Amino acid sequence: MLAPFNLPEGIVLLITDELAAPADFLLHRSLISHIKETNGPTKTIVLSVSEDLARWKAVASKFNLNISHQITNGSLEFIDVMKHVQPDFRALAPLETADLHTPLPLRPLFDLVQGALHKADHGDAKLVILDDIATLEWIGFSLLDVSRFARALWGACLKAKATLIIRHHVVTSGDPDDLFRHLLQMCIYHIDVRPLASGRSGAVSGEVALHLGPSTPVGGGVKLIPRSAAVQYKLADNGPVFFQRGTGGGVL
Amino acid sequence: MSSFKRKVTNKQATLPVPGTRTSPASSSVTTISTGIPSLDDVLGGGLPLSCCLLVTAPDLHSSYGELIQKYFLAEGLACRHRLCVVDGQPKHFVRDIMWIPGQTKQQVEKTESDEEEDTSDHKVKIAWRYEQMKPFQTTVSSTLSTTDSYGHPFELSIRAPTSLIDDAFRSGQLSSLTIEPTKLDVFNLIRQLEEKLQSDASTPLRICIPSLGSPFWGDITKRELLFFLHSLKSLLRKYPHGCASVGLSPHLSTDNWGGAGWLQKLGWISDAALSMSAFSGDISMSATFPKHHGLVQIQSLPCPTTLVAPSDRFSVLRGLVSSSSGGSGENNLAFKCTRKKLMIETLHLDLEGGVSERRTTASVSEVFDTKSIAATATGASVKIELEEVIEQPEQQEIGKVKKAKKKSVAFDVYDF
Repeated sequence: MLAPFNLPEGIVLLITDELAAPADFLLHRSLISHIKETNGPTKTIVLSVSEDLARWKAVASKFNLNISHQITNGSLEFIDVMKHVQPDFRALAPLETADLHTPLPLRPLFDLVQGALHKADHGDAKLVILDDIATLEWIGFSLLDVSRFARALWGACLKAKATLIIRHHVVTSGDPDDLFRHLLQMCIYHIDVRPLASGRSGAVSGEVALHLGPSTPVGGGVKLIPRSAAVQYKLADNGPVFFQRGTGGGVL
Repeated sequence: MSSFKRKVTNKQATLPVPGTRTSPASSSVTTISTGIPSLDDVLGGGLPLSCCLLVTAPDLHSSYGELIQKYFLAEGLACRHRLCVVDGQPKHFVRDIMWIPGQTKQQVEKTESDEEEDTSDHKVKIAWRYEQMKPFQTTVSSTLSTTDSYGHPFELSIRAPTSLIDDAFRSGQLSSLTIEPTKLDVFNLIRQLEEKLQSDASTPLRICIPSLGSPFWGDITKRELLFFLHSLKSLLRKYPHGCASVGLSPHLSTDNWGGAGWLQKLGWISDAALSMSAFSGDISMSATFPKHHGLVQIQSLPCPTTLVAPSDRFSVLRGLVSSSSGGSGENNLAFKCTRKKLMIETLHLDLEGGVSERRTTASVSEVFDTKSIAATATGASVKIELEEVIEQPEQQEIGKVKKAKKKSVAFDVYDF
């Protein structure tokens, strides 16, 4: 899954990015490779918080993938998150204490995903993409609700043997926020997309590093990429081109 | 100069809406002008419909953010687009927008500038190898094209006629939503904006929020603000004939109010986010860059249908367009507001030290001690003021330092 990183299926992958180097190309790439390269029928669920279907369609069409067709035959489900849930501003402070009687704001969304995962149609190769989880916290859902939702989603994907990809935005680059810490504990692999320290450039769009999650056993055939030897990429409309730092690799 | 060519094909069944262009990156995306040609260039041809532009202006002493919103409204009025102003005093805000100078005056100005160009070509003798290059330009100006009503030459010294604005209100082209601090409900506001978007899908609707978070918005919290911007973006995606330009109130535009990473969060939630940091409160910056009034920082740029923002490929000002394989870094951008217009330019450092500072130190013999002469003089005291007097203590110090340096060097070399 996801060349050139060659990650296995059925994992929880956390992708973090920054504003100057957004990682949506990785999400599009994983969707397209999941649908095209898997032998047999696939099932993909995209939970989109910030972006709408039109952009996914437009980007996928450059790779000759017809998303509308995938939706009509049921192998792709696109869920617009804000249609199903709403943050509660009337609460005086974010509820940090567990209370059995308060309704969980993100519960309807979780039920929807669980229903979709357990549908008997369309094959065993399942992929769930959550884009993105940081916005949910910013627009008013409490940290507790969001981290519980992430954990529940992780559990559901484990049971259904689905790959889960979560995108999280890092706004304070040196200082990890609480949601990031929760997500990091859950993930098996962590891809970290960062811009170049010297600012935007026409030739290099950013750098990608691949780390193991904290609770993942070492070994397993995946070649990790440390931050010091991060792979650089140049983003074009037909996808990224990866090359090693300092080599150019046919791009420069 | 304008590299944006209108695609005119025989297969075009529907005429394009006036005041819009197709995006250079993708023929399915329509862009509208913000009223400032250099800002259109930075955005990659204009603001695409279904996108939201957020302008933060952290300086408390100036109102460049509101100026950009006025340009947005004026351009919408001139292109006959529908407008909706969301503010505490929307009618008061709209009365103050700039306008195009009269027709005859425009033609006269055009001919004058043409004449100037002709004479200047004959005067300047350029080395033969540079003849082919066009003159160095720091900004992008609009072409006054008669076929295309994209971008109008507004002048800051001219107000829009009151009759024009009244007619626009009466005909429904211009509408407003008034915000009251005690009754602010974000959900209700979104519902009202949705009604405006639903009413007419044939002409583009420009939503303008000149001062989001000003006292009229009451005690809006960070989460409510981000939720509002997020809902606005999803509304615009649902009704793609609309677009929005939001100006954030100055005290909300900094990390002091929003917490760490605030501008980044705003950049993620809006499609395009720019920061116009004026130098008004900062004396050192205005001294370093005397020709400009502030810096322009780009947080995010609109890319509605592509992976790469069209601005990266087409913006002349940002300078990421690289014809050679090696890319260069992005240009620094600054804005300046002249008597007639606001424009965004590339920012370049002056010669080291600047042109007004001395490059060589004055020789020591020229300096004489006028203070001691004045002290001993009796009777009518003649005050002699010389330029060197101010620099005098520095020169003496430099002389002393130089002597000291020489001594120490001599000492070190022969010290075994």
